[in-house]
Amino acid sequence: MEEIRIVNVSKDFDGFMAVDGVNLTIKPGELFSFLGPSGCGKTTLLRMIAGFETPLNGKIFIGDQDIVELPPYKRPVNTIFQNYSLFPHMTVWDNVAFGLKVRKTPLPEIKERVSEMLNLVKMDDQHSKYPDQISGGQKQRVAIARALINNPKVLLLDEPLAALDLKLRQHMLIELMNIHDAVGITFIYVTHDQSEAMSISDRVAVMNRGKIVQEGPPDDIYERPSSIFSAYFIGETNLITGEVIGIEDEYVQLKCPMGNGEFFEIDSTFHFRPEIGSQITVSLRPEKIAISRHKPKVADDMNVVKGVIEDILYLGSHTQYIVTVGKNNFRVFDQHKRVYFDDTALDWEEEVWLFWHDTDSWLIDELPPEDRMPAEGKSHLSKIKKQSSVSGEQI
Amino acid sequence: MKNSVKSNKLDYLLAAPTLIWLTIFFLVPYLIVLIYGFLTPDIFDVKFEFNLDAYRQLLDGTYFRPFLLSVRLAITTTLLCILIAYPVAYLIARASDKVKNTLLILIIIPFWTNLIIRIFSWRIFLSYNGVMNNILMRIGLISQPLEIMRTDLAVIMVMVYVYLPYMILPLYSVLEKLDFTLLQAAMDLGATEVKAFFKITLPLSLEGIFAGVLLVFIPSLGTYLIPQLVGDQRSLYVGQVITYKIKNIPRNWPMASALSFGLLVLVAFFLLLGYILLRKSKVRGVV
Repeated sequence: MEEIRIVNVSKDFDGFMAVDGVNLTIKPGELFSFLGPSGCGKTTLLRMIAGFETPLNGKIFIGDQDIVELPPYKRPVNTIFQNYSLFPHMTVWDNVAFGLKVRKTPLPEIKERVSEMLNLVKMDDQHSKYPDQISGGQKQRVAIARALINNPKVLLLDEPLAALDLKLRQHMLIELMNIHDAVGITFIYVTHDQSEAMSISDRVAVMNRGKIVQEGPPDDIYERPSSIFSAYFIGETNLITGEVIGIEDEYVQLKCPMGNGEFFEIDSTFHFRPEIGSQITVSLRPEKIAISRHKPKVADDMNVVKGVIEDILYLGSHTQYIVTVGKNNFRVFDQHKRVYFDDTALDWEEEVWLFWHDTDSWLIDELPPEDRMPAEGKSHLSKIKKQSSVSGEQI
Repeated sequence: MKNSVKSNKLDYLLAAPTLIWLTIFFLVPYLIVLIYGFLTPDIFDVKFEFNLDAYRQLLDGTYFRPFLLSVRLAITTTLLCILIAYPVAYLIARASDKVKNTLLILIIIPFWTNLIIRIFSWRIFLSYNGVMNNILMRIGLISQPLEIMRTDLAVIMVMVYVYLPYMILPLYSVLEKLDFTLLQAAMDLGATEVKAFFKITLPLSLEGIFAGVLLVFIPSLGTYLIPQLVGDQRSLYVGQVITYKIKNIPRNWPMASALSFGLLVLVAFFLLLGYILLRKSKVRGVV
């Protein structure tokens, strides 16, 4: 098995840099995802590996071989296309056999391997059907079999689940992981769906505007986002900006404006040493914050902030609260570990305490763009009753 | 395609005007033609006496040569049209929307000029002292004018010119709908461009080819005007023979009718053949 190295690869479309100087190494056998919003260059990068686009510059290695000059049919890779691209005039069997047939494989071998592959994707009983006679999930399986039968070194998957409905998507996701385990080759997976990427990947590269913003295992990217973009794009987060007023051991102290002239102070662990007096952002995931109407016993390692509930969204497994602290909005997830059907539940406009461990937040050496700044800025009248609290929308 | 919509009374009502029109102006006249074939010729008209002479002559080989020439011409024209039209249709189908529309208009523009005028321009173009010979001699490619006018070659050139759009347009319409990522998929799976064409593009455009063949082959088989105006008058095509049977005195309406019927049978035969071939290729709907 060989690793894939993408060395300084760029691609432009009429002057627009779709992929901009990407460097990346994908380990052998890895399930690696490119994750990013549409237009971030992830599909273009995949198509360059497949051979459908030629890079402006840079090299793509599979093992020691630079494949940039090779036509698609000479590359040791196969692709699962977004809409499967099954050949409509061929049966399932003929679709799967296609790759072997064009390579002039002897018929007995074709027969054996096609049935092996159809077996792997559980489509053996559908082999004589045409693509328009099978369901989306089945087409997906045929596409996988059709690609894997060629024994590629790398399987490229371009948003393979985008056309499926939610339940089927979750099912196919598990199936894809099983197939990855069974064949053991490298999978490169392109998606804009962060939950898909997080659940399936060994490692993820978050892309934005043609560049890789961050790469690493899913939990690393989620818990330790390196930029505002990856914090925002993966999952939900609260971005709190503030001024560094002190550094003590492994903690940094921040003074955060509430937007109404007042301030609250929080502590956070840090992984780089910010300068005292500088402005900095803290990313705090909503599920890390606890919410209570009673003031908690303040421990040393806790941040405590007081706010007012502005909005409550009941979501079954958890409730999402929007809590205003001054003019900042905090998004808080409260897991329903128990069933409560009494009136102890928190209510709109109730004063609450938010608290979290100072090891649960993460510093980002970047300030959010204007339109994502908490507090101030654009304001709109809150819809709720008497106390017309003004709030800027937070991410 | 396979959707079977339940037909109801409204459907028949809506189809009725067309059905009545076709019955009166197509089926009935054809029956008259058929009946005329079994009558006895007279100098100007027919005598209403049963007579099998026309069909006897049709079957005994008297008219074998015009039929052979017509079939040969129709096949040549159709094949040349496919070969020329395919790349053109492919190019148009893959062009950007703006270029696409321009090219389509360029193909349709000749229809704005009357067919006879266009054929006459070809006569001027191809004639002994015509434009083509002048140009070729001026640039030194030939030292003596080519005698193309009034040859079978001239007929084929003009036939292909006239019928080409009828091949390009149906081909364009299937190629335009063709999902070109299928070609990428084929190449991804190891097929070269050439293999991808023969395994994917060509089978998926067979319906367009078939439609184009219908539009070109059938009228080519009965063509009259073009061989009449640019062809060698020693080799007559069926269309010309039928015309002479009606035009020249003594007229022979029954023979003309029998020849027309022969043409119909021939067309039906080729249609059926084409249909069977299409079915045999197991090609399913493009979409």
